[in-house]
Amino acid sequence: MSGATKPTAEKPTAAAADKDTPDATTKPAAPLEEDDEFEDFPVEDWTEEESQIPGGTTHLWEESWDDDDTSEDFAVQLREELKKLGHSK
Amino acid sequence: MQEALVEFYTAHASSAAVAVARFLSPIPPSQNPGRLYDFLRTTNEVRVKGDVQYALQSQMRRHMSSDEINAWAEIISCYWRAVDRIVKAEQAENQGRSAERHALDTYDAWKDLTSNFIKYISNGALPHWTVFTLYFTANHLRKFALKADEQIAKAKPVAFSAGFQDDIVSATPRNEKLEEAARVFNRIFALCLGDRNPDWMTSRRWGVYCIANLQFKTYFKLKTISLSKNVVKSIAAQSDLPQFHLYPASHRVTYMYYIGVISFLQEDYPKAEASLTEAWNTCYAYSTRNHELIMSYLIPCRLITEHAVPTKKLLDQFPQLRSLFGDLINSIRKGDLSGFDKALAEGEPEFVKRRIFLTLERSRDIALRNLFRKVFLAAGFEDLKEGQTEKDRIRKSRIPLSHFAAALRMSTAGADSGQVIDDEEVECLLANMIYKGHMKGYVSHEHAMVVLNKKGAFPRTGV
Repeated sequence: MSGATKPTAEKPTAAAADKDTPDATTKPAAPLEEDDEFEDFPVEDWTEEESQIPGGTTHLWEESWDDDDTSEDFAVQLREELKKLGHSK
Repeated sequence: MQEALVEFYTAHASSAAVAVARFLSPIPPSQNPGRLYDFLRTTNEVRVKGDVQYALQSQMRRHMSSDEINAWAEIISCYWRAVDRIVKAEQAENQGRSAERHALDTYDAWKDLTSNFIKYISNGALPHWTVFTLYFTANHLRKFALKADEQIAKAKPVAFSAGFQDDIVSATPRNEKLEEAARVFNRIFALCLGDRNPDWMTSRRWGVYCIANLQFKTYFKLKTISLSKNVVKSIAAQSDLPQFHLYPASHRVTYMYYIGVISFLQEDYPKAEASLTEAWNTCYAYSTRNHELIMSYLIPCRLITEHAVPTKKLLDQFPQLRSLFGDLINSIRKGDLSGFDKALAEGEPEFVKRRIFLTLERSRDIALRNLFRKVFLAAGFEDLKEGQTEKDRIRKSRIPLSHFAAALRMSTAGADSGQVIDDEEVECLLANMIYKGHMKGYVSHEHAMVVLNKKGAFPRTGV
C-alpha cells in the first residue's frame, strides 16, 4: 500500500464499517442464481443476535427414538405376524 | 459531472468500500431507477476521461495523491463505458433485438473495469480497503460472464449437432467467459494473499476469504470443483492471515459453507459436519435460502455421522427442506423400507443435482436399523424374576432369525406379496448391521437366532 496517502480507517476492515447499510449492489440477484449457489448476503457483517432466526427452533435434531408408538399400524401388524411364527424359545 | 460524483466523494471520504461499490454498481438502486441513464448523460465517449479527470482534480486535489486521482479517473471512466454498454443492451432487449453481442460488450467493458482496478491496487495507487470494492466489482463480472455465456449458447444452439463426432467440440466453449473470469479472480486472490504489508490493519489479506468465495462459486458453476482445493490449500499454507473470527460474518459463513460442501463431496463427513454447523450457527437470520442450502448438506451429513434425523419442527420451518427430505426422513424414522426406496427414487433427479444422492442412499441402513429395532421391541420383556421391578425389566434378547425375516418381508413388499427374501440374505443383513455398529450382539447360525446385548442392543436409540 505504498502510494496511499489517505489516513487509514481506524477499523480493521472497511467493510465492517458499513455493516448497517443494506447493500443495493448485491440485492437483486434475480434469475442468475439457481442450484446450490450460496446467495450474497444483503449485509456484510452482523452480530450474534442477528444470526438467531426469530421464532426459529433450536431443537434441530431428534435426540432419541424413544417416541416409538407401539400402537401404530405397522407395529401391530408386526406383532400379529410374529405371533403366527410363534416364539421358538 | 461534478454532481454525479458527489456520491463517490462522500463514500471515499469515509473509506467506505461498500458505499464506493454502490457508486460503481451496474444496477440502479430501487429508489432511483434512472440512475444509470442520468450518469450516462453527464458526458460522452470522447470526453469522459477528461471530464472525470478534471472533476476529480478540482475536488480531490487536497485529499488524494495525483496517482490516486489518475487511478480513479481511469476506473470511473471504465465504469462510464460499462454503463453505456449496459444501457444499450437494455434498449436492445426492449426492442427485442438479439442480445448476444450486447451481453458480450457489457462483459468486456466490465472486465476492463475490473482489470484496471486490479492494476491500480497492485501498483499501490489505491488504498488497501478498495479490495472490498473490487470484490463487488468482481462479483458483478461473474454475473456478466454467466449472462454472456448464456447468450453465446443461445445464439449458436445446435451448430454442431449434425455430426455426432463434434459433440465434444460444441460442448467445450460453453463457459468461455466464465473461465476467463475465473482467471481474473485468481489474480485478485493472489493480490490479496500475497500482500506482504506487515501492518495487518491496512492489509489486503482482509480480502482473502471473500475472493476465495467468489472462486468457489465459479468453480462450482464450471463443474471444476476440485480446483477449489488449491484455494483452500493456499489459505491453509498462509500462516500470517488475520484470525478467522475477525473477518466479516458474510465472508466467514460463505467460506464455511463451501468448505463444508467440498469436504462433503470428498466424503470427509466429520469435517463437513463441523463446517456446515458453524455456517448454520452464524448465518444471517433473514437469509432463508442460505439456511436451506446449508441444511440440504448438513442433513445427509448427520445421517451418516450421527445417524440423526432433523426434527419435525425444523422441517416445518423450512418448507423447501420438508418437500426435499420429508418423505425420506419419515420412512427412516418408521423403518419403512419400501417407503424409503420410493422416496429415494422420486427424489433422485433433485438429489443427484444437489450431489447428495449417494450419501442419502447410504442412510437406508438407518431405516433398516429402525425396522430391526421394532422387531426387538415387539419381542417384549422377559418375565419378572424375584426382586425385579417394572423399571429394570429386561427385554427378550434372543430373537429368531425368522422374525427379522418376516419384518423385512413386510417392510419391503407386504407380508403376502410373495417376494422372496432368502434367510441367508437376512442373516447377511443382520451381520452387516452388527459389523457397522448399528446393533450389538451376535448371530447364532446353528440356532438361527440373534442374540442381542441385554443393554444397549441398538446404540444411541434408547434401548
